[in-house]
Amino acid sequence: MTAPLDVQGSATEAQPEAVLGGVEAKAIEGRSLGQIAWMRLKRDKVAIVGGVVVILLILVAIFAGVISSLAGQDPYAYHSNLIDPNYSTPKGGWGGISWDHLLGVEPVSGRDIFSRIVYGARVSMIIAFLATGVSVIIGVAVGVVAGYFGGIVDQLLSRLMDLLLAFPLLLFAIALVYVIGDSSLVGLGDNNTRIFVLVIIIGFFNWPYIGRIIRGQTLSLREKEYIEAARSLGASPTRILFREILPNLVGPILVYSTLIIPTNILFEAALSFLGVGVRPPQASWGAMLSDASQGLFQIDPEYMIVPGAALFITVIAFNLFGDGLRDALDPRSNR
Amino acid sequence: MIQYIIRRLILVVVLMWVVSMVTFAIFFLIPSATGTSPAVLFAGKAPTPDTIAAVEVKFGLKDSIPVQYGHFVEGIFVGRHFDNGADKSYCPPPCLGFSFVNNQPVWEEIVSDLPVTLSLAAGASIMWLVTGTAVGVLSALKRRTIFDRAAMGLALAGVSLPIYFTGLVLLDLISYKWGILPNVHYVGITDNPLSWARNLLLPWIALTFLYAALYARLTRAGMLETMGEDYIRTARAKGLTERRVITRHALRAALTPIVTIFGLDLGQLLGGAILTEYTFGLIGVGHLSIDAISRQDLPVIMGVTLFAAFFIVFANLVVDVLYAFVDPRVRYS
Amino acid sequence: MRRTSLVRYGTVATAMALLVAGCGSSSSGGGNQGGGEKPKPAQNVFNAGTTGIRNASDHKGGTLNFIADGDCDYWDPARTYYGFCWDMQRLFSRGLMAYNAAPGDSGLNAVPDLATEAGTSPNGKDWTYHLKSGIKFEDGSPVTSKNIKYGIERVFAQSVINGGPTYVITFLCPGPINTSGGCDAYKGPYADKDPNHLGLSTIDTPDDNTIVFHLNKVVGDWNYIMALPASTPVPIAYDQSPKGGAHYTDHPYSTGPYKFDTYTAGKSLTLVRNAMWNQGNDPFRKALPDKIVFTVDANDDDIDQRILTNIADVNISGTGVQPTAQAKILSNPTLKARADNPVTGATRYLAIESKVAPFDNVHCRRAVQYAVSKVDWQTARGGPIGGGQVATSMLNPTVKGFVQFDAYPDDNGNGDIAKAKDELKQCGKPNGFTTHLASQNSGKGTRVATAVQAALKRVGINCIIDLGNAATYYSQFIGAPAVNRAKGRGLLVAGWGADWPTGYGFFSSLIDGRKILPQGNSNYSETNDPKINDMIDQAVAATDPNKAAQIWGEVDKQLMTEDATLVPMTWDKALVINSQNVTNAYIMLSLLGIYDFQALGHV
Repeated sequence: MTAPLDVQGSATEAQPEAVLGGVEAKAIEGRSLGQIAWMRLKRDKVAIVGGVVVILLILVAIFAGVISSLAGQDPYAYHSNLIDPNYSTPKGGWGGISWDHLLGVEPVSGRDIFSRIVYGARVSMIIAFLATGVSVIIGVAVGVVAGYFGGIVDQLLSRLMDLLLAFPLLLFAIALVYVIGDSSLVGLGDNNTRIFVLVIIIGFFNWPYIGRIIRGQTLSLREKEYIEAARSLGASPTRILFREILPNLVGPILVYSTLIIPTNILFEAALSFLGVGVRPPQASWGAMLSDASQGLFQIDPEYMIVPGAALFITVIAFNLFGDGLRDALDPRSNR
Repeated sequence: MIQYIIRRLILVVVLMWVVSMVTFAIFFLIPSATGTSPAVLFAGKAPTPDTIAAVEVKFGLKDSIPVQYGHFVEGIFVGRHFDNGADKSYCPPPCLGFSFVNNQPVWEEIVSDLPVTLSLAAGASIMWLVTGTAVGVLSALKRRTIFDRAAMGLALAGVSLPIYFTGLVLLDLISYKWGILPNVHYVGITDNPLSWARNLLLPWIALTFLYAALYARLTRAGMLETMGEDYIRTARAKGLTERRVITRHALRAALTPIVTIFGLDLGQLLGGAILTEYTFGLIGVGHLSIDAISRQDLPVIMGVTLFAAFFIVFANLVVDVLYAFVDPRVRYS
Repeated sequence: MRRTSLVRYGTVATAMALLVAGCGSSSSGGGNQGGGEKPKPAQNVFNAGTTGIRNASDHKGGTLNFIADGDCDYWDPARTYYGFCWDMQRLFSRGLMAYNAAPGDSGLNAVPDLATEAGTSPNGKDWTYHLKSGIKFEDGSPVTSKNIKYGIERVFAQSVINGGPTYVITFLCPGPINTSGGCDAYKGPYADKDPNHLGLSTIDTPDDNTIVFHLNKVVGDWNYIMALPASTPVPIAYDQSPKGGAHYTDHPYSTGPYKFDTYTAGKSLTLVRNAMWNQGNDPFRKALPDKIVFTVDANDDDIDQRILTNIADVNISGTGVQPTAQAKILSNPTLKARADNPVTGATRYLAIESKVAPFDNVHCRRAVQYAVSKVDWQTARGGPIGGGQVATSMLNPTVKGFVQFDAYPDDNGNGDIAKAKDELKQCGKPNGFTTHLASQNSGKGTRVATAVQAALKRVGINCIIDLGNAATYYSQFIGAPAVNRAKGRGLLVAGWGADWPTGYGFFSSLIDGRKILPQGNSNYSETNDPKINDMIDQAVAATDPNKAAQIWGEVDKQLMTEDATLVPMTWDKALVINSQNVTNAYIMLSLLGIYDFQALGHV
């Protein structure tokens, strides 16, 4: 019968280290969930690629200003001398690509596309991350409370989530931007106010998704023995929530946040596409697609492909990374 | 079972009622937020104070919001008379009001745009359900083969591309560059079925690309999970052919959740596929809603929102009831 | 103030009209009877339709398919205010006068339609018309002078019949005009004390074939005003029934060669032949096609494609093709030979709200005049062909009275930054300021707005763009000065074209300080310069058209140099094309560069 001593990589603490003498203590060191997840993630090449792209995008978003001034371009300046007046298209081939304008220029206005893409990344990242933050905070709070306390509280909160899910999402978001979006909050300036409004609206419409998932997870966690034990020891609900349940939810929260971010990126792009995203002349990938769709994409396809590709790469990177993260954290999944 | 259905029906009614109240409240706040009164919007171009006053009487806009809401709900069931002496209009049930812009009953506007949305939803949903689940099942069965990797790669692309981008690319290549299909322009199915299908082909493909991708991923995950279950191992151990195992046991368990999601997605789509309609220039309910919002045509906005919410809630109901048939535990939750 | 879906119209004096008007009689422009010289057919080359007739043919029959991206605002002749809708009215509404059916300048004349000859007046205030006999409505009932009087009375009922031009109210009100532009002394035939609903005292109908107007001031252009659709006769009993009034627009009664068959609001209209129309007493209509089907298609690219593939025949909105079709047409010689590039007679401009700070200071306004880039605006609208010529004044070169001057020389339309900054210093804002800029949310509207925003940013003026829906832009979005002021909209993108081709009204509703209305306003800049108000009065009262033209030129100068409240950007042009099924196509200058629909036939 094989001794249990030479089993490696188990989550439980190795006990008879002292007995082993010659065996390296390292070989039987226990690993926490986080470490296991990290190991699995490292092995997933595709997810790593996604992760690297995500980090790159975040850096681009943060350093948008630096990058575009390095390229020597202003995202808002018109260059009508680069546009053929009768066709409204850029004069050069491939949408006007040149050493000055690495990704070409926009039709009609002649604005540099490269710097607008870079600034667009910033807009997408800011709105998506902040909105995800809003969703997660509200969703986790509601989900945990509903799942843990059950009863009437759960009924009410679940109905609330049902109600929100019953609203036609995009329609309401658009209408709300029209209602609120024109006003200006003191001290923020109009562009930032609009971003604030978008973050709140996108975040607010997405939280029921997280809420439901967290509620489900909390429900199953609640039945675990160590929760019962804590309760019988006299721990207050707050303490249980914060010390026992939430830490165990970190995994799912992380995974679903990462998976919600691309949804929010697409949501913001959709709102911009329909004309209710960030205010012009701020750059947004969705707004560029919207402009291209109005009679320009047939004669200057580059203007459609570049922002589309930007969206595609961003979303797929987040999806790959999120998928990998989920697989890494869930020991039962086999790909 | 009946009890469960009744409980859910009550929930539906309550939800619709709350949705209508919230929508009504918000959309009557729009004019005061933007500085115009509903009467002015209703009165059309260059209205004089007389016109505005006449409009206010006709549509009861001077009443308090709850009273107006009451009239609105009443109108849905029995219709409404709008009258200020000189100008009378009758709005048959279900009366969702009159459009500000062209003075037609909102319900008629929705109904006349409905065929487009229905055609879009019907065709696309069948295409994506069949394609998505087939690809998903096959991928699961041929796990880790080239087919699987390619299909899942494509599926990932599908869920990562915004539908308007896919739509624009399709239009550019297939319609503009290669001229294989004409520019998308809706033709009614009763007018010319062949033309109807030809014109809707590109929007269907765009929608299918997105949704089939989603469903392929879901189906594959579901199949893999089901195939790993004990009872499948038992069935195999009993000596059933692999085919039997899959078709009699695995598929049913794997596909049931898919069907419920399908119901929900279809419900959403019936409320108006806004992005698709906008990209392809199809005048369906989604397009109507966007237009109405930008024109501040409140009655139409109200009407479309309620309409869309109804489909979502109704689809939820149907799906829940179906699920209750399949999984008895649900009835008692 | 005639509108297309993008442009708001006033009146602009146009060359030939005034030359013809100089023929001595006190009625301006009404000299010709219909017919006159036969216009020569055009070779089918680029722009042939602006001077001649394309594909001239007498062939009768067939169905023409009309298409546009929006329905007419109204089909009721008293309520419609879109240029292309006035053109459509020529198919089923005949009024006392009508525009001559000819390309080029002779299409600017008003010729008698239901009248036997142009109206005459001994004093410019009392005008008499005699009706032709044998005119019938589509149901066979006879048309009398009373129907014409009733039709004009309807305009007075602005609470029911609103939306159209209100000149008849201004000149026929038995009492003074109130502050909202209405007539308190007569409120229309639905509130009429006369049991026959003919209680307007300023119009006399001594017999069934005679009608006399008693205007409250001298109006030399009355024949032109009678060429507006409002002088179309309306059946009294039908209009007083529940199907009339506000619902008359769903089926107006025809006096022309076609009548309504089926109509679905916002979607489609079918016109079929009207058996009661008599070609013998019609000055120019030929009624070639058997049927006309008009469909609404919200997708502009789709419309262009359908025309180019001959599935639809005529884009009746007349605002020109989209960039994709423009590229196709200009790069393909065969297509280019079929296309026309008319001057529409409209001026696209930026209105500066003079009551929104800091634009109450003329130097801040002048800063905008110098800082804008008219070239970028032109490119945004489609370049020299699709957009038009860079403008230096509000009146454009086709107008008599036009004087070539540039009050704000700006480096060929690119803007003079140094002068702009100097003006900013003088108005106390050396570092610029922030304001709101209103425009339409359609493709060209947004592009124009971002172009203005980028140009003004160069001198530190930050524009926040407010976009309004095209269908309600002029009437509601920028039509209430109080709202514009509350939202800080200092700059408003607008377009303006001619109601009828003489001098009155273009500048009037645009800059007459006494015509600032609380709703449905057209004086967006809230200009109120006593000097200009005076000059307008002088011009209207002038009986010599040349003198009037000269005064309008002075008004333009005064407006630009002293008030600077309007910034002219382009003199509008459009690139238009029909399908290959269309015959007899020519451009009507009086209808803003749109094809004359009543003349078109099918091959």
